[in-house]
Amino acid sequence: MTPRQHLLLLLPLAALLLPFLFWPAVFGLASSFTDYAPAERHLHVVGLQNYAATLENEDFRLAFRNVLVIVLVTVPAELGVGVAVAYSLRDRFRGRGLVRIILLVPWLLSPIAVGVMWHFLYGSVGMLSYLAAWLRLPAVPSPLALPGWALAAVIATEIWRKAPLASFLLLPGVLAVPSEQWEHAMLEGVPLGSRIRQVLLPPLRPLLFTVTLLLLGDTLGTFDSVLMMTGGGPGSETLTPALYSFQQAFKAYNWPIGVASAWLIVAAVLPLGLAYLALVRPGDA
Amino acid sequence: MGRRAPGWRAQQRKHLWGRRALLGGSVLALTVPLIWTVLASLAIKPDTGAWPPGWTFPPSAGSYVEVMNAVPGFPRVLATSLVLSITATLLTIGTAFLAAYSLARWRFRGKRVVVQGFLVLASLPAMAYVIPLSDFTREVHLRDTFAGVALASAAVFAPLAVYVLYGYLEQVPRALEEVARLEGAGLYHVMSRVVAPAVAPGLAATAVLVFVLNWNLFLVPTALTLRHMRTIPVALSDFYTYERELEWSNAAAALTLSLLPVAVLVVLAHRILERFSLSPTPGEPGG
Repeated sequence: MTPRQHLLLLLPLAALLLPFLFWPAVFGLASSFTDYAPAERHLHVVGLQNYAATLENEDFRLAFRNVLVIVLVTVPAELGVGVAVAYSLRDRFRGRGLVRIILLVPWLLSPIAVGVMWHFLYGSVGMLSYLAAWLRLPAVPSPLALPGWALAAVIATEIWRKAPLASFLLLPGVLAVPSEQWEHAMLEGVPLGSRIRQVLLPPLRPLLFTVTLLLLGDTLGTFDSVLMMTGGGPGSETLTPALYSFQQAFKAYNWPIGVASAWLIVAAVLPLGLAYLALVRPGDA
Repeated sequence: MGRRAPGWRAQQRKHLWGRRALLGGSVLALTVPLIWTVLASLAIKPDTGAWPPGWTFPPSAGSYVEVMNAVPGFPRVLATSLVLSITATLLTIGTAFLAAYSLARWRFRGKRVVVQGFLVLASLPAMAYVIPLSDFTREVHLRDTFAGVALASAAVFAPLAVYVLYGYLEQVPRALEEVARLEGAGLYHVMSRVVAPAVAPGLAATAVLVFVLNWNLFLVPTALTLRHMRTIPVALSDFYTYERELEWSNAAAALTLSLLPVAVLVVLAHRILERFSLSPTPGEPGG
């Protein structure tokens, strides 16, 4: 192929991404240093004022703390469950294909639908209440409305939603690990922990990095399922930065703050992306 | 077979039971909430008023009829979602396939960073640029239009598609392409007759996954829509807000309806999906 043909094939993608992804991103970044808003006629450069205002905001700080807790709990849990379930699917057995498809179920529901669903399932018509009724316990209130419990309920939902997907995505990597190696280590009596570290993880590494990055990015942008479950409440206990940004931009019409808080999320994602680029070895691509 | 460590057989058995428990537990955790929801959509709900707790009977399909009328314009919303998702998926897969092929057959320094960069781009939350995007589409009169929402949705998932398809294209042996080229076939011919069939399973699996992502996308359609291009997640979010006390059967019916098309698609495509991999390796079927 000639260089011209190479560029020609890249052209449609560029035509799609330049106006609909790169330009809004760059323009958004630039506008976050001004008081730009759609209806505004005059533009003033305000420097870091939007960022300062966002960072000083009590709700936003709480949102950042929340998302930090969510990331630190859900991502390792999703990867752990993902690897464990993928590993148990390594050997062929009847119904394995079915289990593999069932793993996709929570992901087939939109985050919005998952939010609506768990909003009800945590409540009086859900499994918890039914169980409590069987045990003759008094009616349990929905944890989503209980201060101190709402974030835990949101975290449980997020794990329910994404751990099976992680498992689905990690399965090809687990299957690629030569089973003789694993059996050999097991016959030798190598304990499970070191077997995982020595046999399973090295070949799984590139795929694990890829899935981790996608999970991290998705989790830092968490908002639609929370929007439907709690709307960020009670108080601001389950507020996330993306939800805050969404509310500021599309409900309060406070564009500069919305954009600035969105870019603070990017500021959290980009170092992770760069770390990924640095960690992935040339042979891993 | 090497020397067996003591207690090997017991360990093996423990291992098997551990696996059964883990898989059984996972399948239950994944399916029970869904079955609960589908039952509720048919008006079969737990009745905790008496002991032992029972279920409300008889089942009825009334909620489905209600949803069609209660959520404003639900049939239209379903149609919009379907056409929009198909269009956006075709745009994503088309542009990503061409670009990924170009990258896979191009040698230049720093190519690895470019390819991995697409993954980094895919991990960027859409929230980062959606606010200026809604402003931009308004200025070019694409806001609340079919074309605007389809193009913007396609752009969200194009980086991920480039990354995945690049992985598949890397696995295609180049010998076939070279033979075709020596026989005088042009670029278009090589791509459509040689390359596309070779990666067809990977291409199809990626398309199915991108379709599901589009079907479930909320942020871009809601930011770019006022009235006309309401997709299912947008309509659900308008109607079932957490502030309102809503009827569970009604919501469950809407959820079931929103799941049905993608569930059917995934069941039909399960053989292709089983071989899907984010980063295919040589020798793997479907690569």
